[in-house]
Amino acid sequence: MNVDLLFTVLGACVVGAPTLLLAVLGLTALLARPLSERAISRWTASCVIVGLAATVAILAAMLKTGARSVPLTLGDWVAIPQEHFHFHLKLVFDRLSVPFAILTFVLTGAVSAFAGRYMHREPGYGRFFLSFSVFLLGMTVASLAGTIETLFMGWELVGLASALLVAFFHERAAPVLNAQRVWSVYRLSDAAFLLAAVALHHATGAGDFAGLMGTGPWPQGHAALSPGQALGVGLLLLVAAAGKSALLPFSGWLPRAMEGPTPSSAVFYGAFSVHLGAFLLLRVSPILELSLWLCAAVVVLGLASAAFASVAGRIQTDIKGALAFASLTQVGIITAEIGLGLRYIPLIHIIGHACLRTLQLLRAPSLLRDYRMLENAVGGHLNAAGAASREWFPDGLRRLYRVGFDRGQLDEAIDRFVVRPFGDIFRWCDRMERNWTDFLSGAASRESDRIAAVAAVEEEV
Amino acid sequence: MASGHQTWRHEQGSLHELEDQMEQAAHLLPSQGPITVFVHHNTLHAFEDRPFDEGVKQGAALYGCHPYLPEDFYRGEVVRGRISPDDLAAVLIDDLGDEADRLLGFMGTRYHLRLAMLEHPLRLGTDAELRWLIADTEALHRFRDEAPRDLRRQMIDQTRQWVLRDCLNDRAIAGRRGADGIAALLAEFDAVAIERWSDRTWESFTLHALWRTCHNGVHAVERFGEASPHPRRHRDLMLLATGHDTDLPVHELLIRFCAAFLDQGFAGRSLPGRDAGFFRAFAGLYGDARPLAPWLRSLPAELSRVRRAALTPLESIDESLRLLGVGSTERGPYLIETLLALRGWAGMIQQMETNAEWAVHPAPRGTLREFLAVRLMLERLALEHTAREALAGEIELAHLRAALHRRIPHTPRVNVDQRAYLVFQLAQVRGWGPAELHRLSKAQWSRLVEEIESFGGLERRRTYHRAYELHYRNQALDALAAHGARADAGEAAAAITAPGEGEGRDRATFQVVCCLDEREESFRRHLEEVDPSCETFGVAGFFGVAMYYRGVGDAYFRPLCPVNVKPRHYVQEEPIRSFEDAGRIQAEARRRLGRFSHAVHVGTRTVLGGLLAAMLGSLATVPLLMRVLLPQKTARLRHLLRWMVTPPLTQLHLERTHADPGPGKGQLGYTRAEMADIVVGLLQAIGLTERFAPLVVIVGHGSSSLNNPHEAAYDCGACGGARGGPNARAFAQMANDPRVRRLLVDRGFVIPEEVHFLGAFHNTCNDGVTYFDLDRLPASHRDDFDRARLVVDEARGHNAHERCRRFRSAGLQLTPAAALRHVEGRGEDLSQTRPEYGHSTNALCVVGRRTRTRGLFLDRRAFLSSYDPTRDDAAATTLTTLLRAVVPVCAGINLEYYFSSADPLGYGCGTKLPHNIAALLGVMDGAESDLRTGLNWQMVEIHEPMRLLLVVETSPEIMAAIIEREEGISRVVRNGWLQLATLDPTRPVIHLFQNDRFEPYEPTSQALPVVSSSLAWYRGWSDHLGFASIVPGGSATEDSRGFRR
Repeated sequence: MNVDLLFTVLGACVVGAPTLLLAVLGLTALLARPLSERAISRWTASCVIVGLAATVAILAAMLKTGARSVPLTLGDWVAIPQEHFHFHLKLVFDRLSVPFAILTFVLTGAVSAFAGRYMHREPGYGRFFLSFSVFLLGMTVASLAGTIETLFMGWELVGLASALLVAFFHERAAPVLNAQRVWSVYRLSDAAFLLAAVALHHATGAGDFAGLMGTGPWPQGHAALSPGQALGVGLLLLVAAAGKSALLPFSGWLPRAMEGPTPSSAVFYGAFSVHLGAFLLLRVSPILELSLWLCAAVVVLGLASAAFASVAGRIQTDIKGALAFASLTQVGIITAEIGLGLRYIPLIHIIGHACLRTLQLLRAPSLLRDYRMLENAVGGHLNAAGAASREWFPDGLRRLYRVGFDRGQLDEAIDRFVVRPFGDIFRWCDRMERNWTDFLSGAASRESDRIAAVAAVEEEV
Repeated sequence: MASGHQTWRHEQGSLHELEDQMEQAAHLLPSQGPITVFVHHNTLHAFEDRPFDEGVKQGAALYGCHPYLPEDFYRGEVVRGRISPDDLAAVLIDDLGDEADRLLGFMGTRYHLRLAMLEHPLRLGTDAELRWLIADTEALHRFRDEAPRDLRRQMIDQTRQWVLRDCLNDRAIAGRRGADGIAALLAEFDAVAIERWSDRTWESFTLHALWRTCHNGVHAVERFGEASPHPRRHRDLMLLATGHDTDLPVHELLIRFCAAFLDQGFAGRSLPGRDAGFFRAFAGLYGDARPLAPWLRSLPAELSRVRRAALTPLESIDESLRLLGVGSTERGPYLIETLLALRGWAGMIQQMETNAEWAVHPAPRGTLREFLAVRLMLERLALEHTAREALAGEIELAHLRAALHRRIPHTPRVNVDQRAYLVFQLAQVRGWGPAELHRLSKAQWSRLVEEIESFGGLERRRTYHRAYELHYRNQALDALAAHGARADAGEAAAAITAPGEGEGRDRATFQVVCCLDEREESFRRHLEEVDPSCETFGVAGFFGVAMYYRGVGDAYFRPLCPVNVKPRHYVQEEPIRSFEDAGRIQAEARRRLGRFSHAVHVGTRTVLGGLLAAMLGSLATVPLLMRVLLPQKTARLRHLLRWMVTPPLTQLHLERTHADPGPGKGQLGYTRAEMADIVVGLLQAIGLTERFAPLVVIVGHGSSSLNNPHEAAYDCGACGGARGGPNARAFAQMANDPRVRRLLVDRGFVIPEEVHFLGAFHNTCNDGVTYFDLDRLPASHRDDFDRARLVVDEARGHNAHERCRRFRSAGLQLTPAAALRHVEGRGEDLSQTRPEYGHSTNALCVVGRRTRTRGLFLDRRAFLSSYDPTRDDAAATTLTTLLRAVVPVCAGINLEYYFSSADPLGYGCGTKLPHNIAALLGVMDGAESDLRTGLNWQMVEIHEPMRLLLVVETSPEIMAAIIEREEGISRVVRNGWLQLATLDPTRPVIHLFQNDRFEPYEPTSQALPVVSSSLAWYRGWSDHLGFASIVPGGSATEDSRGFRR
């Protein structure tokens, strides 16, 4: 049988299974014919299994044929020849994407099996799995992406699913507010990503990884960029990665994202969403290699984030917050590893960390039982040994504690130095517009001004 | 200052007052302690001294929670038949008394008007919704579905007559109020062609006319009752006026700080200066800070000002209140509202301060005050900041509320559309046509509206709720009466009457003493069904053994007794002598394993440990996948490991040599005399004083589940939210001690030599039963035990099967063996949010002989406490003691479930899916929220919130005397927080406690279904089931053999 055809079929299965899942869950919801819980979990399980099997088959075929990189192009969707722009859905199976795709299927499969029972009889069951399928598709596309545009598409889907699941319990205010914060940071990082893509395209005339980063499969690619260009593009990509992976100075959103149901917190902030930035850096590693300054920036950012997160993590008193910062600590280290020029170590690190953290987050509600068992085994209080040293608190340590307690005031800093000036400008514009329209109409012209700030709540209490 | 002294005196006075107000406010906080020890209590315990309906209404107003379920729910129950029209009628008549028949002009009687409002759904909505209903639905074209056919006809005919006779011909009408509307309407409807109007046009015209008449009629009718006052707190006003919630930033900081301050050892670094108290720790943390958040910028300055002025927390509160412009008259309510704004954390502080001396880090006295001082200070800062931002100009805090009042948009005091729509809907089902309504005077309209509004949403829900309770109460009392009558008639006496009762019968083959818990009802019933020659008893599950207990693998002693009992005795489990060395090695192994797991637990969150762990992290997929996909296999592996490090044989250190009890060496345990007291006390209470079976099994209970912060809430309530196995074991050991029995003989209480007591533990989640001290079982009892074990094993299969009908994920087609596997799996599954349904089914409590309920299918809804009135003294001493324990425990469970299911978000803690354990003390919703108290939605999902129906087998006179004597019982009974009835000990006659006296209860129906087995009754049903007598027919043996499917 033709090997190319085999690869194409299998590759289509890998992306097709999650797409099918999204289509089934989305269309049934859209047509107001919601599926039963059982049907939803069966569809999810089968699609994950098909996707996983196809990926493993591709891996086997690659090992058999000795191919180190298998590109697949699924259609040529948009072509603007004058600008040398082609948008194809291009997938690449190589040493980076295959392990990542397998990890995606294994962990989402396990977590969706978990969620199938955990979410039983929850009114938002279908909504949860719909967002989950968006995430699965996004993650698959992102990990297999062969062009910047494809990667961006997956990246966006993951961000969308992530924000939707943070706001899963939208009847309370806190999840919605926090989801908006997550979403805003994601938009910022998307903007940086897009700018980087445009800059890349401008510099090289194509957005394709393979063409862009020269020949040779990952991680031996070479990018055809000047060091200066690489630094510029790389810094933009670093901002994108920092936003997505909650590195400094965006770390504030990560603990806030623990609003959704436990399984979604586990798979997003223990496993995938939070590693996506690091994955991006790995993907564009040939660019990193071109600029020493860029590498230094990556290392510094990674280490700083890890140090901050480890300080903040020790001070958290809730299990999910503590795990969020624990994740961030490792993501920081992974980023630093990438900056140091390592390639396989960070990959192994990501995979190991994702598995470990997912398990820990899924088990988070067991904390009290675990503590009791540990206390019983040890025969006393767990932190008894450390108690004596805590009596004495030097000023420096107290300040360090405050840094952790305030989570470095990162959110406050962003609010004050970024959001506020923005808001002021727009409010100024709004005032001008109002003055102008009032002047034109000769009276108060804004209908919205007459509406109460808070809607009257019709509550039977 | 010259007048300093004077001011000081004055302030002392106001500070004392403030202290009292604080005290009162603290009383209203939730009283749930650390979640690891879950004690069920009445959520509205602070309102118990008021009648139930008044209490829930006040509670609702104070906490902003629902007092009853939503009206839609009850209406659904009316449709389903769970509430019958008879119930509604009975409640209305009882409620209205003489007022029921009062004739209100054309409206009919008040009773009929209210009944119409209950029987037909009244659709109410927001203004926008109403506008849509009027404009875009059929509401003005077609009658409501509920409107009776003949009434529709009649209304249309009357309208036709009225229009043709009066409106068209009599031009004089044009001068009358509202007639413009009709005239305009006629124009709209093409009056020229009126002769040719179809029926549909007439229907539409009638409804349009009705709507306009209603609208005109209610226009300008005064508002009845008081207008809801403006809120008191600055924050609420600010929210209304500007849309800014000043509680958001305040809470974010405060929650984090409270958690850090109260942390029981989760965080790696604890709060610096925590021992100095809440306020000082806070000042220490922020005294030299430079906050970036604009609203906090003046915090350090404010803190140092307070420090320089050396204000006590109370003085600081006083100062804050003055700065906020809170006058002395409204201080009490203002403080209450301020504390309740973050009531979970405030309540936890209060609990840690007053009620948790056993905790690792209790809070020092006065913490709540310091909390409030900090809170008010932060609130001031937030308000000042928001006022600056959102309101133009500088406004002093003291005048802020006045300024905000002016800015709150004016809302009309009466909503005409909504009122009109209410009348419009009612008119259709009561047949008030436009012609009739048109003639009403202003005063009549006013009366009509008042009459309708006096039966508002809350009143309707109260009425529905009473009918909902009444329905079950009638069913339960009818069943008890009918079942008793059947027993008296000797019908199926073999099944209903326990063995050992009556002449010439053999003794029971074995006897089982369970907890009175309603989850043991089905277990007992199945035991009796499987082996009709066994006998069961129910009693508070600590079996009279109130103790601090420490298991062989436990770190601490913990109390095993009801919360209102303070144990004096300490009991410890030890490896038996010959295993002591092995035990020591295992203890060391446990310690090492524990230290190692803790190191892993903490280490994976640090930099280097995490790095190391993450490199090996792929290995975590193995436990991850196994636990998710194969929970039961994984559980077996874990048990194997635990088995390796726990001594195989242990004993209880139960006998004390030292004079005083205590935790020290030689002080552990009880003296023989104390043991004798316990044994005789319990056996007399349950009426087991003679006709002992050779084997008496004492069964404690508890529940084990994974990934469940609320695990303790499923355990034995009578053991203070712990597992009652050790109590059962201790009791059995005491009762078996020959020296104790000799002491008992001296007191005239003989336990024959051939009687052996055996302790056991029933896990209500996986329906497993474990037995204690089987090595001490005499050889003579082996056969008895083997037989009993077979019966128990079969019964727990049946029990699991009956439980599985309630689980949607189990299906109704399981065999008992599969059901047992299913419930075992639930307990071991990480992803299972409903390991069991806990007390979800509680509704009834019967205190009396088992013979009165034996063979009656109670659907796991009844607490069953054994009590033999024929063996009690004239003053009912035994009963009084029993009720002192039964009433608070059962009513506490019942009312906690009531409120958590009446308002799962307000009184309960919502869905458990986003729960996040904070400070090892409780759960928050998601990343950061108030500490959530109460029960989660998954626990109460199938619960029918009803007040407990307590039926006591005694005479009304004796019960009345007990109520008279016992303050605790009287409070809940007289105020109606539970419903009380007595069951006559000699006849199947019931008296119901109503209006402060016992009245004879007239059964509403004599019919009680008879079925051959529990299975035959419940098979295929997953809802709550009614009562039935179980009378094994000819196929009895076949039934107990197992299920055909």
